[in-house]
Amino acid sequence: MAPTPADMPIPVDWYLYLSAALFMTGVVGVLTRRNLFIILFSIELMMNAVNLNLVGFSRFHENLTGQNFVLFTMVVAAAEAAVGLAIATALFRNRQTLMVDLFDRMKG
Amino acid sequence: MVEKILFIIFAVMTVAGGVGTITRRNVIHALLLLVFTFLNVAAIFFLTQAYFLAVIQILVYAGAILVLFVFVIMFLNLRTFQEQEQTHRGQRWVALVLSVLVLAEFIIVLAGITFVSAKGGFTPEAITAAGGSTRVFSNALFNQTLLPFEVASVILLVAMVGAIILVKKEKAANVATREWEPDAESPAEAAEEEV
Repeated sequence: MAPTPADMPIPVDWYLYLSAALFMTGVVGVLTRRNLFIILFSIELMMNAVNLNLVGFSRFHENLTGQNFVLFTMVVAAAEAAVGLAIATALFRNRQTLMVDLFDRMKG
Repeated sequence: MVEKILFIIFAVMTVAGGVGTITRRNVIHALLLLVFTFLNVAAIFFLTQAYFLAVIQILVYAGAILVLFVFVIMFLNLRTFQEQEQTHRGQRWVALVLSVLVLAEFIIVLAGITFVSAKGGFTPEAITAAGGSTRVFSNALFNQTLLPFEVASVILLVAMVGAIILVKKEKAANVATREWEPDAESPAEAAEEEV
């Protein structure tokens, strides 16, 4: 286990393990599920895993740049959710389904 | 010691919420478990003494994004998808096994690394002495990353305009070129929607 600063109560490794587990959970969701909404949720899970990493290392290195970066990640996540939901609405209006493997009209 | 126990509890609940999110059949249940995960991540931010980010996490993720998702899910009629197959037939087991392998790789690599702190000086004591977490956070934000902050506002504006254009009703000239009308459903589906 990594040596931690005397004032950091939680080892930084723990953040990395938790972040890796949460990220791979999101990857499994994206790769296996057919429902477009669950895939969007899984992408949000992966972004949260990244945020955990950034905050943990920001505390470990005693530097606030990581926390500032989390703010920008949240901005991108909010924009992605808005555009993703708009695309989902448009797709549902056109096809009456949200199962991603049925959106194959452009397949060669 | 107390922090470690709390961290383990919140970490277990975070991963459990994540696994629940990707295994639920009902989209609303998945969404509520996702919000549970977000709240646990916010609790871990509190434990890390990133107070401002914890509050923003609750406001933005568990508040705004939740409301957005709930609104769209209620707006569309998703109940009919619960009876269909939920996973890709050809790749679910391959994807699961490969993901577990990648997670094992992460753990093996992380177990062999020792990190050395850069000692940037922003310890909790120094932050408290400098006027609190939010003040120090915003000083760093507006001094070092002012230009990215302004660009972020442009990103949000572009996302808003894009979302409005995507969901806008198409004009009559475009509708005429379609193969079929979305409103012209079969009578059985129309009756099902009214229930």
